[in-house]
Amino acid sequence: MSLISKLKQSNYQIVMVTAVLVVILAFWKPHVLIEGVQRACLYAVIALPMALILGIVGIINLAHGAYMMLGAYFAYWLNVYTGMDPLLAILPALAAFFLIGIASYRAIIKHVLGTPELNQLLLTFGLAMVLEQLANLMWTSRPIKLPLQYVSSSATIGSFTFGTYEFVYVGAAILMLVGLQLFLKRTDLGQAAMAVGQNPRGARLVGIHVDRTYLLIFSLSIALIGALGAIFMTRHSIFPLVGGAFTMKSFCLIAMAGIGNLMGILWCSLILGLAENFVLSFRGYAGWADILFFALIVGVIIVRSRQRQVK
Amino acid sequence: MRNSRYLLYLILFLILLTLPLYTGVYFLNVMDIILIYMALALSWDMLLRSGQISFGMAGLFGVGGYAAALLHLHTGMNPIVSIALGGGVAGALAWIIGSAVLQLRGMYFAIVTLALAEIFRVIVRNLPDLTGGPEGTVLPSAIFAGDSTRTYFLVLSVAVASVLASEIFQRTRIHFALTSIRNDEIVAKSSGIDVFKYLVFIFVVTSAIQGVVGGAYAHIYGFVSPEGSFSVDFTLLPIAMALLGGMHSTWGPVVGAVVLGVVSEFLKLQIPYGHLMVYGLIIVVAILFFPQGIVGTLGQKMKKTGSQ
Repeated sequence: MSLISKLKQSNYQIVMVTAVLVVILAFWKPHVLIEGVQRACLYAVIALPMALILGIVGIINLAHGAYMMLGAYFAYWLNVYTGMDPLLAILPALAAFFLIGIASYRAIIKHVLGTPELNQLLLTFGLAMVLEQLANLMWTSRPIKLPLQYVSSSATIGSFTFGTYEFVYVGAAILMLVGLQLFLKRTDLGQAAMAVGQNPRGARLVGIHVDRTYLLIFSLSIALIGALGAIFMTRHSIFPLVGGAFTMKSFCLIAMAGIGNLMGILWCSLILGLAENFVLSFRGYAGWADILFFALIVGVIIVRSRQRQVK
Repeated sequence: MRNSRYLLYLILFLILLTLPLYTGVYFLNVMDIILIYMALALSWDMLLRSGQISFGMAGLFGVGGYAAALLHLHTGMNPIVSIALGGGVAGALAWIIGSAVLQLRGMYFAIVTLALAEIFRVIVRNLPDLTGGPEGTVLPSAIFAGDSTRTYFLVLSVAVASVLASEIFQRTRIHFALTSIRNDEIVAKSSGIDVFKYLVFIFVVTSAIQGVVGGAYAHIYGFVSPEGSFSVDFTLLPIAMALLGGMHSTWGPVVGAVVLGVVSEFLKLQIPYGHLMVYGLIIVVAILFFPQGIVGTLGQKMKKTGSQ
């Protein structure tokens, strides 16, 4: 058994490796540690709704990043027309994207559930293209960034200065993870959703309304990712294709953690975020950071297929 | 019946062959684009017949283009040879990636290929000494010094070669192997088909076709760049064409490429920013309402009227 396959057996071991990495980094490059954690939480918070859809509805949503991009433009739009702060726009975004989620599920997603995986992949890919090009038509491909004062706040410890605003991602990640865990474990709806995720047929037999559960979970995830777009756009510039990389990185994290392992996503995103920031910290090699997730996903696939052969 | 069919192919081929005699430069350029996308759509469909879906056309297309352009530029190689080698490079890369990734199929393979264009773009951008970095590389001159007739014949031969490859794959035992893998992998495995080997093989072949097409495209326009050569167009359009025409056949992607190729010329003028949305819509609508495509739907109707 290889090291990584042992890691996968429990989150405990992933946590151990992450902890060792964190301690080494804290002494060597504290910048990498803090910015890496912030970046990791951004990845985690984007991957969580995608994991929820994949785990319970059972489809891989390639339009995930596109929905986030739309959420970001929604917040921008509210800001332009009503002057609303993007962080306040989270609430209307939640409502609006819940409705968009319902519409998408009813009109499109519902019809490919239970068809071959191939159709689902093609459909969500086509959907992503439609949403991205729609944004391109409405807002052009010019990157947009709102001039917000509070995002450049920073703190200084000794001789070491770092941005504090990005901790909003850490807060969002913890909030979403705790919220989702409570929802799935403590509420009847959440329990029903878990049951549907494990065995839709069995769930239907015991009287759970499977289709309504799918609708709820899909719309909830779209609402979360739309609201996240609003947070995302405070700090990053947005353009129609901004979500594509996040779709792929989210899938990378889900594949690493294993489908249905929400807590694992946080730890895996820590590994990805820290590794990316580690590469970014080397002058002249920073451009290579975007390749890391690909290496990780190929590594995970190789390890997974080995495990399958052993069994 | 059968002979008349071959006669039809022959007439069609002769028309295509003599096209430069009675058409202008603009028409030939449109034909070039249609044939290029036709080859891409066919290669995508050939892989789809095994049940695997690839979003990596743009990546392998761009790799083929870069390989052909750089080989020609740095070694002074004949452009035609460099185009063929571009296909070889794309095929070799596909072999490495496929050997690693095709053990886990379905969505894992699809997402890895989806990332390919992005990954190759990052690599190309970060090797400025070799590839010219973000600005790309300009070749001293386009292939055949920009002669539209000879360019057309180059593209035509690539497209005809992909049609032939697709037909060969449809008529030999490879077809049965791939179809049975698509229908049920376990059954395929228990009837003695080496699933992994076949999938890697077909992935390499289709990627090599995409590499050759990319090489031809790079030489025709005399230019490669990270944004242009790995553009999402080269993934999106072929998929829309194959789905519109009809999956799992040779003639589906061909018909789809001709129809959408003509439509796209019109769309580019009507909606310059965002005409790609139409192709996304075509994919969504085709999957939801007519997964058989034009060729499949027509074929069914003809069978019905034939049996009545």
